[in-house]
Amino acid sequence: MFYLKLAWRNILRNKRRTIIASIAIGVGLASLILTDGLMIGMKNNLVESATSTLLGQAQIHNKDFRITRDIEKTIVAKDDITRKLESDPLVTAYSERIVSLGMITSPSTAESVIVYGIDPETEKELSKIDDRIIEGTYFGENKGREIIIGSKLAEVLEVTLGDRIVITVAQAFGGDLSQEMFRVSGIYYFDVKEMDNGFAFIRKDKAGTMLNIGNNIHEIAIKFSDIRIAEKKDLSFWGEYSTGNNEAVSWITIMPELKNILDMTDISLYMMGGILFFVVIFGIINSLFMSLYERMFEFGILKAVGTRPSGLRKLIIFEAGWLAIVSIVIGVIIGFVLHLLLIRNGIDYGGIEFAGTFMHDKIYPVMNISQYMKYPVFVFIFTIVVGLYPAWVAGKMKVTDALRKSM
Amino acid sequence: MEQKTIISTENLVKTYKDNGMEAKAVRGISLEITSGEFTAVVGPSGSGKTTFLNLISGLDTPTSGTVQINNRLISEMKGRELSDFRRDNIGFVFQSYNLIPVLTVEENIEYIMLLQNVPKRERHDRVIKILDKVGLNGMESRRPTQLSGGQQQRVAIARAMVSNPTLILADEPTANLDSKMGSELLEMMKVLNETTGMTFIFSTHDQMIMERARRLITLKDGIVKTDEIR
Repeated sequence: MFYLKLAWRNILRNKRRTIIASIAIGVGLASLILTDGLMIGMKNNLVESATSTLLGQAQIHNKDFRITRDIEKTIVAKDDITRKLESDPLVTAYSERIVSLGMITSPSTAESVIVYGIDPETEKELSKIDDRIIEGTYFGENKGREIIIGSKLAEVLEVTLGDRIVITVAQAFGGDLSQEMFRVSGIYYFDVKEMDNGFAFIRKDKAGTMLNIGNNIHEIAIKFSDIRIAEKKDLSFWGEYSTGNNEAVSWITIMPELKNILDMTDISLYMMGGILFFVVIFGIINSLFMSLYERMFEFGILKAVGTRPSGLRKLIIFEAGWLAIVSIVIGVIIGFVLHLLLIRNGIDYGGIEFAGTFMHDKIYPVMNISQYMKYPVFVFIFTIVVGLYPAWVAGKMKVTDALRKSM
Repeated sequence: MEQKTIISTENLVKTYKDNGMEAKAVRGISLEITSGEFTAVVGPSGSGKTTFLNLISGLDTPTSGTVQINNRLISEMKGRELSDFRRDNIGFVFQSYNLIPVLTVEENIEYIMLLQNVPKRERHDRVIKILDKVGLNGMESRRPTQLSGGQQQRVAIARAMVSNPTLILADEPTANLDSKMGSELLEMMKVLNETTGMTFIFSTHDQMIMERARRLITLKDGIVKTDEIR
């Protein structure tokens, strides 16, 4: 208890140095907290961008469809599944889709595309096609004959709004070709080459008829109440919906490359954290050693009058502990204020591509309690560990060296 | 009062190595100091008096020879044992910056008793008593910076004496004081020496101390040149 008191008073002895050291350590801590928050925000933004474009956070297919894209492999017991999804508390939206390879032909050229048959109303909740329409409308009154295509595809086909184009697909159960004429009712722009060039969206009913699969579907895209739900591997959802020959998979399975990139960002966070800790550690060592060498004579007196080496070591460790506590308070305050400001205003990375995904929205750092527990505890433990070295030096110091000016 | 030998040195030698060169600071000092002495160790700079005091207080270890305090061979002690021995047997008064500036007068004085695990109440009582003896009543809650140089040295003496050690080692205790303050301090130590029977050993250049010391040991080139008992 006495050494705690003495250590605290020693810390306050040179207030300016303590404040400068604490601010330096505190800024390091605040940087760690903010970096963590920003990384989570950026990851969420990437996942959100990737999944809300078209993918969805999870998908249900016939097990064979995802690999073979065989249009005959439709979802088994679709109605049971959709009924279950309706009442699933984890699910906020879902959309049924028909997916097929097809040929799109304009008067000037033909291109192969992936034709999506969608329900315009439910799809609004899942993907951002409706938000990205730059010309025309997102499915209007002309029921059955509308088609939405990307701006690049329109350019290649040399078509504009209202122009007629023909979709050709191979039908299920026989492979007969089926052709339908559509009018371009909307053109979207995502600034993602694959999206803008390789997809065409028509109504689901029309697609079902063209493919000869009736009311059957190939894909159900799902949006959860929280974006992080899809990352949980042990979620019972996957098992519950992987029945019959169906499989429910998260975006991690569908886009493993994005998951790998996100894991890499975790590693870079650890590396950045390591560098920041390194800086913080040198700040602490410097402060403690300055304080130690400044008080050599005093330590000499303490040792001369009978303080055991362990007593001096304890004193230095307690001083390190107090320095850590003051720094943590400063760091948490700085971190919290900046965190709130960034959460309110966001950081605009609009249009930057990362891991093949365009970040269209601002990045908002995420704040959670663990950031304000984990990093301060790290800083405290590291400070104590770093304090062991000057403490060892103080304990080992020869009294006569320390008192050289005197006896 | 019966006088017994409390310090006994035998052929004490201390050699320092500096840049490969050996320098003998103490070249074989053998002497005895008895309880209740008021002794001054004097000599020119480099005569070995500081080294000698460091050796007899256990702050340094001899190259050869022995030091016994109260029949205990402190030249063989190390680490914790030596720290505890110094704590319980030797009081130190240094030239200046004696006190821990962040502690109050009371906390400075009670520090050694804290190391000895003396109960709080007893610590306080002993601090009050010793402050009375050194003429600093009512100053227990002051910080060292609020005291004059002379008062600070009195506190240092109080701290050195409060745990009733066998001997007090004082290194130039009056060096940073004016002659009036120095004289008062010296007079006070003399009185304490006479009333408590505690042994005082000074390392000094101060003529006043030399005049008042009852034994004057003069060192030159690491050996005892004269040893005069008055």
